[in-house]
Amino acid sequence: MPMYILGISCFYHDSSAALLKDGIVVAAAEEERFSRKKHDSSFPINAIKYCLQSQNISVDDLEYIAFYEKPFLKLERMLSQHLAAFPYSLKTFLSSIPSWINEKLRVPKIVRKRLKYKKGVLFIDHHIAHAASSFLVSPFNKAAVVTVDGVGEWTTTTYGIAEGNDIILLKEIRFPHSLGLLYSTVTAYLGFSVNNSEYKIMGLAPYGNMDRKTNQQYKRLRNVIDIKPDGSYRMIMDYFAYHYADRMLSGEFCELMGGKIRNPSEELSQRHKDIAAAVQLITEDVMTLILKNVAKTTECDNLVLAGGVALNSVYNGKILRNTPFKRLWIQPNASDGGTSIGAAAFVYHSLLRKKRVVPLTNAYLGPSFSDAEIKEFLDSNKIRYSTLDNDKELVSTTARLIHDNNVIGWFQGRMEWGPRALGARSILSNPCNKKMIEILNLKVKHREKFRPFAPAVCADDALKYFDCDNPVPAPTDYMLMVYPVRGEWRKKIPAVTHVDGSGRLQTVRKEQNPRYYDLIKEFGKLSGIPILINTSFNIRGEPIVCTPEDAYRCMMGTGIDCLIIGKFVIWREDNLKDAWNSEKYAKD
Amino acid sequence: MNIRNTAKQIFSGIKSGMREFGQCLSAIVNSTLLLLVYIVAVGPTSLIARLVRKRFVEIEVSDDVKSYWSDLNLENKKFDEYYRQF
Repeated sequence: MPMYILGISCFYHDSSAALLKDGIVVAAAEEERFSRKKHDSSFPINAIKYCLQSQNISVDDLEYIAFYEKPFLKLERMLSQHLAAFPYSLKTFLSSIPSWINEKLRVPKIVRKRLKYKKGVLFIDHHIAHAASSFLVSPFNKAAVVTVDGVGEWTTTTYGIAEGNDIILLKEIRFPHSLGLLYSTVTAYLGFSVNNSEYKIMGLAPYGNMDRKTNQQYKRLRNVIDIKPDGSYRMIMDYFAYHYADRMLSGEFCELMGGKIRNPSEELSQRHKDIAAAVQLITEDVMTLILKNVAKTTECDNLVLAGGVALNSVYNGKILRNTPFKRLWIQPNASDGGTSIGAAAFVYHSLLRKKRVVPLTNAYLGPSFSDAEIKEFLDSNKIRYSTLDNDKELVSTTARLIHDNNVIGWFQGRMEWGPRALGARSILSNPCNKKMIEILNLKVKHREKFRPFAPAVCADDALKYFDCDNPVPAPTDYMLMVYPVRGEWRKKIPAVTHVDGSGRLQTVRKEQNPRYYDLIKEFGKLSGIPILINTSFNIRGEPIVCTPEDAYRCMMGTGIDCLIIGKFVIWREDNLKDAWNSEKYAKD
Repeated sequence: MNIRNTAKQIFSGIKSGMREFGQCLSAIVNSTLLLLVYIVAVGPTSLIARLVRKRFVEIEVSDDVKSYWSDLNLENKKFDEYYRQF
């Protein structure tokens, strides 16, 4: 009888569930994909149901359930904040404590009630869950571990060493000093949403002045953080308000940066862009110092990263060049959502001392739908479609449609784990077309003009088009590394080349996703360049699609031309009876 | 049938109204009780802590300190201790 362990992460943001079968991750998904609420933080009942259904088991078959943090330690931190900030913390006290009483301190009861699970729940320290989520599914037997996020219980940054089944976190930096929260503070200052739009700031940064010597905003922003030569740091808390109020920054921060918080409707000025560049530069400064110090302390060539800051793909692409580390691993869902895997893996490998079997080699851990299920959905909703005979026809038809500058919804196989669409729930289009950014933004994405689109390239072609580390690191498969596009190709793939000449590429390996791999190669035969634009398959402000119904609804609510779902082809213009305007309801 | 439907609608309306009323009431009671806790417990504790210079959150920065890293004592716990929420 196999041993099943369920990991759960919830009640902060991006709740998720992951299921391990004899130590192998067999299913994992975020609740938002089922509930259709972006960054849903509620108890992940739908994600759990999916995990159990995928293995055809019931709750009774679960040996253990592991939770991704220690709630009482987090409450201790919250109360300490209120005590330290009295009387300014009254508003947050009144707004935050009810959720602690109703759900955050009642995890065992909620698990018992919602799942009818009779045994106890194991509680794993938040940063241990982060570290485990990366190391225990990594290909390394020994590695240095660094976790950097907003905040867990008390800890915001840790480093340590992991070998075999053991993870030892040696040092920490504690709240309120947090690199993640500094990034979020600047995100808020620039008029974007916290815990959601940090990646937009990363995309905006190259439009600013990336020269430390001449960027005046960088010099100003350096005043909010005291950085030591070993990478440890503390925030100058006069500039922040997140430790006692329901906002990120104080009036002093605005004064220092020379202006008030940007209104989201206000045009982005050069000053805003320079501020985005400044926070990216400071993040890179701190991370490089930390990693150099960790490399020296641990004497390891391998590095695993976890926590929200590990999603900073711009910096990730520089790690192997700027630090002594030779190999890098980051799991596809590096932020809090990914800790459900970590909690479960920590129980299996570190507590039960079970041998590590195979590393995580792909991100396709979510639900899939058979052609029969898709057909039933199409027929029951009287949707007009055509059917492709085999994989070869599917690949060649789709490649031709993309080459003809159609915007394609691509719904194939199991849904991706993590925030990026990786060729299972993707919108694909032609990167060689200069106007494709405009077309995609006009038809579907409606997103900020400064944000680049991502290229998907077969791993064996990556070094030809991108100045990647060699060999190409595995996290590139999960769109976690940004590399320069090689000079000679920049003008040929303008739609995926960012203003600084970089691209946030996804490398695709045949063994991970053969159909997607073949599609990219086939497109290469038509265009001469085997690269596709890959952007997430979603309506603005909504999570990535999960089911055929979500995908069809998304196509009919946007300007996607055609949906390739399983072996079926659905044209938007053939089904205009179901058309609607998603932009009327969209919110970021 | 019509009478039954109308009655159903009226009852569901009353039910949702009662639910909203209950939620409002619980929000008011919660806020009042929490306000009381904040004034009676958090306030005095915070003031006493300040008098004895107890720091709940470390925010000081110093040029004299070489490093802000602190030891993380996540010692190996017994399996059963992981059932604790602290």
